[in-house]
Amino acid sequence: MAQSKVSVCGAAITAFNRRTDGSSFRDWASEAFDDALLMSSLVRQDIDALIVATESDFFTLQLNPASVLASDLGLIGVSTLRVEGGGASGQLAVQTASRLIQSGTHRHVAVVGVDPSASQLSAATVKSLYSFSFDAWTDGITGVSATALYALSFQSFMNRIAVNSDHLGQVTRQNRANAVHNPRAHLGKIHSQQDIDESPMLATPYRRLHCSPLSDGAAALILSSAKHLPVARKTAATIVGMGSASDTLHLGARSDPGHFAAKRIAMQRACADANIEPKDIDIAEVYDAYAGAQLQAIDALGLSNDIPTDLASLRFCKDGGCPINLSGGLMGQGAPVGATGVAQVATCALILEGLYEAHLQPSLLPRFALADTHGGICTTAAVTLLEGPVA
Amino acid sequence: MISPYQLTLNYKLHPGWLEPYLRGLHQGIAVARCCSACKKVSFPPIRVCECQHTSGEWVSLSGEAHIVNRCTGTEGDYALVQFAGADTKTVVRLDNISNADDIGYLQVTQSDQTHSDQTLDKSALVLTSDKNGDNHE
Repeated sequence: MAQSKVSVCGAAITAFNRRTDGSSFRDWASEAFDDALLMSSLVRQDIDALIVATESDFFTLQLNPASVLASDLGLIGVSTLRVEGGGASGQLAVQTASRLIQSGTHRHVAVVGVDPSASQLSAATVKSLYSFSFDAWTDGITGVSATALYALSFQSFMNRIAVNSDHLGQVTRQNRANAVHNPRAHLGKIHSQQDIDESPMLATPYRRLHCSPLSDGAAALILSSAKHLPVARKTAATIVGMGSASDTLHLGARSDPGHFAAKRIAMQRACADANIEPKDIDIAEVYDAYAGAQLQAIDALGLSNDIPTDLASLRFCKDGGCPINLSGGLMGQGAPVGATGVAQVATCALILEGLYEAHLQPSLLPRFALADTHGGICTTAAVTLLEGPVA
Repeated sequence: MISPYQLTLNYKLHPGWLEPYLRGLHQGIAVARCCSACKKVSFPPIRVCECQHTSGEWVSLSGEAHIVNRCTGTEGDYALVQFAGADTKTVVRLDNISNADDIGYLQVTQSDQTHSDQTLDKSALVLTSDKNGDNHE
């Protein structure tokens, strides 16, 4: 039986920031879902399933959060499921929903990614919780932080690829500058290199401004079987390729601790699924928890054969050949973990339809977009490829 | 706002199949896993070797490690190191090892836990410059 094609019928992202208005993750999830449903031209009764992505019950203080959100969203009766894969949770939820549609058993599936990563717990507590993303029996017992592990991985990357702190600065400035034009972004800033150089050194080579913030927020998608798309949504972008993969949990067991091997495999699987190659990608939203992670992602995804040269030629900037993180990425737009991957796919879909923020929307509609997330130090990777209606 | 919730959770993470490795850390001994088939030595131990074999022997390494990469800053001093005799690398915390040194030695885990109760703490896998000092029981 031929697989059903999956279209992004509705897409919405709330503001990513640190909420101080007394709202909860339930409000943000509802806001994102309502907006995505409105865009889809569907009604609640059309939705067959709800897939929820949140990284940790310690963030939401809620076991079985999908059941809570199903009630809040008015989706009683639909099948519900929660997906968790660390930082990759959101995109794994998108892929799970897409598989339901591809199977032919579901016509319309709602995906909601949400996490209160900023306002409910202290930064120190969230940092402590993140340290449980690593093998508690090996790396974890050293007390190492995510920042230090990413720093050690990036140092290994620098042993192979000729990038340096100037390149980290370029990524930082670019992502935050893009975020200035994204009204939902947490950290839209114009940084100077001096600003970056004067921010505290957390773990060499990472300074504070090289890191993504902790954010609150939500994102939602209504994914639909292409043959059941409402007439008003015939121009919806299509998910054409999906791949996911894993790597050894502890960094030292990897033959090259600087290489995101799981991301490379996930990309190969997604490209095979879509029958395209990395060179066909026109825009990308990649997982930039740290500035160096963006460079490691570019390498693993095969988006460049010569990263320093492509950075120098501004290939990944807004007006370059392959803009990366027009949204601002995690560093600029923000990082409510469960929402991240969902927001990446939403951003790609909106750009492919020409519906993104005016100052960030490419003048020519791109054809192929890539969304990339991972959990741990790229221990769990997920890549999703989308195609626009211009095809 | 709902009154603050406070959770105090006292986990007791048991060592399971990693017991020899964790007992070694508490004694300041680097206990690795040697694959019975290909003889690859992993530290920390890997249960299923790259060659797909699951059988292996526990072997004690000297405790000397070569620093491959290191990071310093407000997050602390950590390194990716390779212990002598191991084919894999591992992450360690550095304790008073100068930037000029690229060799360190495994330190006894500072813990109140007894060896018969090998629970995990967050002060293990520490590398020090002291080869023969009071770090080894």
